[in-house]
Amino acid sequence: MGDEVRNNLKYTDTHEWLKLSGENARVGITDHAQSQLTDIVFVELPQIDKEVKKGEELCVVESVKSVSEIYSPITGKIINVNKKLEDNPEIINKNPYDDGWLVEIKVKDKSEINSLLDAESYKKII
Amino acid sequence: MVLRSALYEIHKRLDAHFTEFVGFEMPLYFSSIKDEHLAVRKAVGLFDVSHMSNVWIEGKDAMKLLSLCTVADVPKYLENQSQYTVILRENGTVIDDTIFMNLGDKYMIIPNAGMSTIVTKWLNDKAKEYKLNAKAEDVSRDFVILAIQGLRSRETLQKITKIDMNNVKFFGCQYGKIADVDCIISHTGYTGELGFELQITPTKKAEIVFNKILEAGAEFGIKPIGLGARDTLRLEKCFILAGNEFEGGRTPLEATLSWLIHWDHEFIGKEAILKQKEKGDYERLTCLECIDKGIPRHGCEIQKNGMNVGIVTSGTLSPCLNKGIAMGYVHKDFREPESILDIIVREKPVKAKVVKPPFVPKDWASRN
Repeated sequence: MGDEVRNNLKYTDTHEWLKLSGENARVGITDHAQSQLTDIVFVELPQIDKEVKKGEELCVVESVKSVSEIYSPITGKIINVNKKLEDNPEIINKNPYDDGWLVEIKVKDKSEINSLLDAESYKKII
Repeated sequence: MVLRSALYEIHKRLDAHFTEFVGFEMPLYFSSIKDEHLAVRKAVGLFDVSHMSNVWIEGKDAMKLLSLCTVADVPKYLENQSQYTVILRENGTVIDDTIFMNLGDKYMIIPNAGMSTIVTKWLNDKAKEYKLNAKAEDVSRDFVILAIQGLRSRETLQKITKIDMNNVKFFGCQYGKIADVDCIISHTGYTGELGFELQITPTKKAEIVFNKILEAGAEFGIKPIGLGARDTLRLEKCFILAGNEFEGGRTPLEATLSWLIHWDHEFIGKEAILKQKEKGDYERLTCLECIDKGIPRHGCEIQKNGMNVGIVTSGTLSPCLNKGIAMGYVHKDFREPESILDIIVREKPVKAKVVKPPFVPKDWASRN
């Protein structure tokens, strides 16, 4: 546990990851982020259909000690949220890149993805 | 300048994640706040709380000075007894809460982190004002303070001392050796569990004690504990954190500490709180257990039917109950046990129930 960075994902310097499939993107927080937060105990997920802008607050993740805002890596509309996290937020600690995803976003402008970090660049900032 | 404990290097070796707390860089956690919290509730944990202060009070009138400056009738506490109390301003608000120890030759008080200069000056000013032959001396940097807390704390310490730990009574204090190092040992703590605290000087000797305790407690699964779990442990027992619960000036009546007040002795602030008691219309510290999901935090508003009736001073997720819990000041008419109030978390109401302290009962570990 700690600093796994996956090659097939895109990253932000605020420690979110994004995985594009077709028109939609799945978003979560990185392994580094979950290990820094420790024991995630609460996730406040956004409403489905909510429009979000790149860099704006997407949802809130709380550890025992702190409240952290998670920022959207991309502009678009929320089409799905990971309901499992409402009862089992610790999934994010166990599996931040698979079962611990946060939301799915219908991407408005795919070109925005070019401004995200690749795995190599993300590794350099953690 | 950031101050560090004399045990900083040991904490680093134990992989501590540090945080700054009122000018001190101290471990926030070593493994995880939750794991450390549960280790203390179920077995035993070791805390370095050297950020807390140490002040000696000595001189012919030391007892009088302490009695004047706290709500405790200090002569009632004999040698080798200690007591939790508060120091008040003339207007009845709390300067600090502290434990004092009667060590026979002199008293030691343990003000909060960052409070030693203020408290020492206050005591010396009052000694002068009331013409008392007593002197307070800030020796905080000369001491390491360790807290060993949990069901297995007594057994752990017993393995490394000749003192019969059963003879150190609740809120007792005495000089003695732990791991062959001179300490002041007290049966006190901030977790609501069986526990002891050690004041150790010179600080370079503390490393030996710290390591020996970890060794002795290994068979019980002892863990080093950071400030994160210290905060969740105290909050589950509704113990006050001075910086939060006294913020902005609160009296012991508001902080529901009237049980500490010996009304039959004279002390600074008495007149003011007597007046407040007669009037009776003050907010009182209240314990709230969340019914809805959500974690209340310091500064969240408390409402009843959309009307503001209070404010949260401390809030967290309780690792034992797995629910949001909070303490806060609530208008006296809205705090009957079982009352339902709303705590406003990120602009949304989280339903919470007024409960009697503590959130987590004494026998929690035996039932979980």
